[in-house]
Amino acid sequence: MAYYFDELIVSEIKKKNEVALRELYKAHYPMVVNLIRSNNGTEQEAKDIYQEAVIAFYEKVQEEDFVLTCKIKTYLYAVCRRLWLKRLAEKKRFHGNIEETETFLGIEEEMVTIEENEKKFARMRESLSGLGEPCRGILEDFYINDLSMEAISEKFGYTNADNAKNQKYKCLQRLKKLFFATYKEDLP
Amino acid sequence: MNTDQTLYELLDDFAAGKLTAEQVASIEYRLEHDPLFRSKAEQHQAFREAMKFYGSRNQLKTILEETHQQLEEADTTVPVVVMPATGWKKYWPMTAVAASVAFLSILGTLWMTRSLETKQTAIYKELRRNVDQIKRSQKIMMEDIAETKDRTKPVPIPGKYAGTGFLISTNGYVATSYHVVKESDSVFIENEKFGRQKVAVVLSDPANDIAVLRIEHDSVTSVSRTLPYSIIKGEANLGERVFTLGFPREDIVFGEGSISASTGFSQNPNAYQISVPVNPGNSGGPLFNESGDIVGIISGSQTETAGTAFAIKSSVVADVITTASLDTLDKPLVLPKYNTIKNTTRVQQVKRWKDYVFMVQVYKN
Repeated sequence: MAYYFDELIVSEIKKKNEVALRELYKAHYPMVVNLIRSNNGTEQEAKDIYQEAVIAFYEKVQEEDFVLTCKIKTYLYAVCRRLWLKRLAEKKRFHGNIEETETFLGIEEEMVTIEENEKKFARMRESLSGLGEPCRGILEDFYINDLSMEAISEKFGYTNADNAKNQKYKCLQRLKKLFFATYKEDLP
Repeated sequence: MNTDQTLYELLDDFAAGKLTAEQVASIEYRLEHDPLFRSKAEQHQAFREAMKFYGSRNQLKTILEETHQQLEEADTTVPVVVMPATGWKKYWPMTAVAASVAFLSILGTLWMTRSLETKQTAIYKELRRNVDQIKRSQKIMMEDIAETKDRTKPVPIPGKYAGTGFLISTNGYVATSYHVVKESDSVFIENEKFGRQKVAVVLSDPANDIAVLRIEHDSVTSVSRTLPYSIIKGEANLGERVFTLGFPREDIVFGEGSISASTGFSQNPNAYQISVPVNPGNSGGPLFNESGDIVGIISGSQTETAGTAFAIKSSVVADVITTASLDTLDKPLVLPKYNTIKNTTRVQQVKRWKDYVFMVQVYKN
């Protein structure tokens, strides 16, 4: 039954079905809370770890050539375990090992991808937080929400689209400066 | 208007697919042939993708956050999946069991050893009490031994004790242990040669457990001119072979052994420890060495140690006799000085000795 459930979830998530994502989230949360709490963690930490894992899974499913090779539960457990071990090592609170009840082959490569994505995300988040409003709003609306410049100039109260465009360009320059500065830092 | 600005707007429009076929073609051409343009375009594209990625991820996060809220609202008890707890909490029931087992075993061991200890101290106390008792007076112990052995002996007349004695001078003086004749009413000596003779106690030395008796009938003295043994005034050596004659029963009994220690009971320097088998009734008997001289007087034995007997040293006997103020005007006590049977066989020696060894019979009301 779990496999049917998994298949369904995967096919729905491929279609970016939000409901499927929510169901997936609800299905395995208790397991992860259990894992984290039984290894020196709090519920808040469990939530963070679990969300990261679910997002990683979601993004993985979006890949063109994605094939489900194991149970979703197994994948999530393995990823959460690794993430938590890493977190613990950073906190220097724990030097043991968490017993591996669910193994997932290819976890190593998976962890590399997850970490890269996390870094990418964090970098953009940092860069954006370095911007103030309305810059951030304009850029987000334009590049993420795909609003037209006309809509943006209206939303932010510019007299015409050209003013908005000028403002957007200035903001873009600042953001790029921030973004590519950290980007270079991250490169070896 | 800034050239870069127009460039990026163009690129944005290009990505959004808002450009005409002509413009698309020109951009594609420039991408292929203008490296500067190309790198700028690529950078912009990377930026766009990063933005998109950030956006979609943010959206996902929002969704998940919402879902989480729902989860918490729907059932706050969800995470309460009986926590196997962390660290020592996880193991505390096991720890508790282990601790209680350890506690019990410690308690048990303590209890057992303590009971053992009290048993041991009980034994020790008893022993000490004994020792104390004996220390208070070695004599008392010896007397006790003499008394018990006398009582165990089947004798027809009540209040009669028996021991052994031996002649120490030709004129009728007999040495024995003090505890044999103490508190006596009348004392008799008896052997094959002399028959039954009444004797008087002329010297009592409770401290050294020595008594000297004198045969009251003068006729006896004529029987013997010389004694076949002398009394050694020095110390016997450790390991020297020794022999005794005594009356633990109605017949004379020969016993042999050796000097096992040069001190007596509880380090008494006036006695030897000997390995001669002695029994109640041997008290007061002579202890001969190999050449047939007297080295001591049998005095007692130790109850809890097998094969341990004690004999008063002959040097002490000689001292006591010579220093004692005996009324010896008419009958001087002259200790024998010569050993006439030095080089004879043991059997010959014993044959001679036994004439001068008596059973001492003590009557007491």
